[in-house]
Formats: sequence, structure tokens, C-alpha cells
Amino acid sequence: MHRRLKAAAGSIGIIVATTALLSAQWPQYPAGPPVPATGPTPRTADGKPDLSGVWRNVRNPVAPARGAAPAPPLVSLDQVPEATFGNVGSGFKDGLPLQPWAAELVKKRMADNSKDNPDANCLPMGFMQFHDHPQLRKIIQTPKVVVIMYEANYGLRQIFTDGRPLPKDPDPWWYGYSVGRWEGDTLVVQTTGFADDTIWLDVRGDPLTSAAKVTERFRRPNYGSLEIEVTVDDTKAYTRPWTVLVKQRPVETELNEFICEEKDASHYVGVKK
Amino acid sequence: MNINLTRVYAAMAGLILASVPMSAHHSFAAEYDRGKTVTLTGSVTKLEWINPHARIHIDVKDESGNVGNWEIELGSPAGLLRLGWTRNSVKIGEMVVVNGYLAKDGSNLANSTSVTVNGRKLFSGSSSENNDANASQTGTVNP
Repeated sequence: MHRRLKAAAGSIGIIVATTALLSAQWPQYPAGPPVPATGPTPRTADGKPDLSGVWRNVRNPVAPARGAAPAPPLVSLDQVPEATFGNVGSGFKDGLPLQPWAAELVKKRMADNSKDNPDANCLPMGFMQFHDHPQLRKIIQTPKVVVIMYEANYGLRQIFTDGRPLPKDPDPWWYGYSVGRWEGDTLVVQTTGFADDTIWLDVRGDPLTSAAKVTERFRRPNYGSLEIEVTVDDTKAYTRPWTVLVKQRPVETELNEFICEEKDASHYVGVKK
Repeated sequence: MNINLTRVYAAMAGLILASVPMSAHHSFAAEYDRGKTVTLTGSVTKLEWINPHARIHIDVKDESGNVGNWEIELGSPAGLLRLGWTRNSVKIGEMVVVNGYLAKDGSNLANSTSVTVNGRKLFSGSSSENNDANASQTGTVNP
């Protein structure tokens, strides 16, 4: 028993948390034994990587906290840095390639302390803030649809993998319309049909318009890693496409309910008009 | 020695999750002043266990003995549960010590980094250490 405990303590960095973290919430329901994070990719019955599970973010902050590892070097727009919740393009040395009106909009939103961030007003925060959010998300993969439930603001995305094409002239939606297909072991997701003037890509307010075509590449190279490459191609807001990376790790727990009751907005202080 | 490995794993998981900021604040700077820290001692008058922010209300006595009611914003219940809270962690009438940041609008409102109750300090999910909240106010805006 001592040796097992030592082995467990020694592998805290790679052993995935198991069982009963929130036993106060649900009756304890035994999960399987812990699987090392470097173990093989789980696969579905049709041989595809199984992205199902509850996932949490692993991020490199731009401004490291005391004692944290140093931030990675900033890169060009042709490379793929990790995104951050506050500033999705923080990994690019010259920032995002914003169109002039979009750059002015971001400056205004920052001066306003992001008080109109949809997330700050209990509205859908959109795919990118959901990807970067520190709260958990649950992926449920079936052969015809991949569903992602977000704990934050009870968000919900559907990615149809039944071969349907993207709609031709859809009603604009906050979440857009997503279809996915497997290219080898990568789930390639395309999303269009975004509504204008709705979601922000990050807390500082980088915008997205109805012209946007977003491509997400989901990979699970081993048990413990989910990697999502997100390419934003929005010629109305940005002068060229750009790509960022989101990295996540699995956790053995359940989402909590999160119904947003907007009480904050009455205290927001922005730029005085 | 009999060791319940399930509880060991759960404790490890708690450490792992607790190290992730649970309340990356969507608009912290719109509401609170990071430069104005405050410590308030008072008795609990109300608990709101809601999203996006749980709140406790406390009666705080000033030097002259006047009592003012303060609203204290915490993280979300989803996050607080992972930091060791339950909705019964503070009870009406209990004395607590709150550390946090003052609201910008001058009201009796503060965002809490920790709440100490019964000698036990509970972190309450403020984004004070959260780089993402800081990062929202940084970075180049081009052109």
C-alpha cells in the first residue's frame, strides 16, 4: 500500500484525477482506474478518436503570475500561438491583423472596461471565449453529431458530422452553424452563419462579423491531450486569416449548473460619455 | 496503514483544479478597482448562491460604531465548490473577514479574494491572480 501511494504521489503530474471530486453534488459513482495522460487515444466503434469527456484548459498566460513559468516568445501571424481568454491574439508579436474600424472598436471596448462583453451581461460568449474559458466543458461525441456543453453560462454547441453541407443562406445565429468531418485523426469543423454585433472573441473585445468562416481542427493525440487549432477567416474585421491554439486536459468530474442571473451590470463603470 | 486511495486522488484533483483560476472575470475592471484593496469584518446577513457570482451581504461596523451593509461578490458556485466551499460555508449571523477590491462606483460593494470564517480561509475566486483578466487590458491594437 505504501509503494502504491508513493507511485500515485509521484505521478501527480500525469495521472488524471478520478472519482468523487464532487461527491457532495452527486452520489459517488465509481469511475475506472486512473489512466496515465500519455496513454493511447480512446476510439469510438467506427475507429475515430473519441473526443468525449470533461475538459479543462491548460494555458500559457501572457503575463505570468508570480512563480509561474515564463511566457512563450511572441510569434508572427503565420504561426500558431496559444490563445488566451483575455486577449485571443496575445501570442502574436504585432497583435491581431485588425481592420481599422475593428481596431477602433477594440480600443473603445477596452476603455469601457469590457462592460458590454456579452458574457458580462449573461449573454452567449461565443465559440472562442468558450474554448478559452477556465470553467469546464463536456464533449459528447456520437457518429452524427458532436455536442459540446459548456459549464460557463450553460453554453451549448452542435457540430453535425452526418455529412450535411453548411447552409446557404441561414438566419444569423450567435453560435453559427457547424459541420465537421474527419480527416484522418483530425475532426475538421467549419462554422458560418454568425450574426453581426454579437459575440466577442475575448474579454478585451476582438470582434467577429457575419463574413466569418471559422475552421477548428480537433485532435486528441493521446488520452490526456485535446488540441484545438482555431482559424478565423473574417475579411470584414481582419486583413488576413489567423490561427490560434487551445490545449485542454481531461478531468473526471461533472459540470455544475450555471444559470446566469445578471446582477453585475448595474455597477459597471465605463467611459463617461 | 490503511489509505483510501480514492480520497487521495480526489485531494490531488482538488489541488489541480484549485490552481486554475475559476473566475476569469469577464469585466472585472468595469466594476472593481484593482488598486483599492479592502479588508472588511462583519456579520453575515444574506447569502445569494447564484451565478455568475455568489454574493454575501455583511453588516460592517465602522470606528464610530455605525453599521453599514456591504455586498461582497464571490466567484460562481461552480467555481467555489471546487475551492472547498459549500452553500453552507457561511451562516447568517456568523462573523467573517473579507479581503478584496472596492467597487468603482463608490457603493458598499467589494469583490472578494478570500473570506475567513471560523478561522478557516476560503479563496473566493476573484481574478486578482488571473492573468487573462489582466491580459484583456494589454496587447497591441493595430493599426
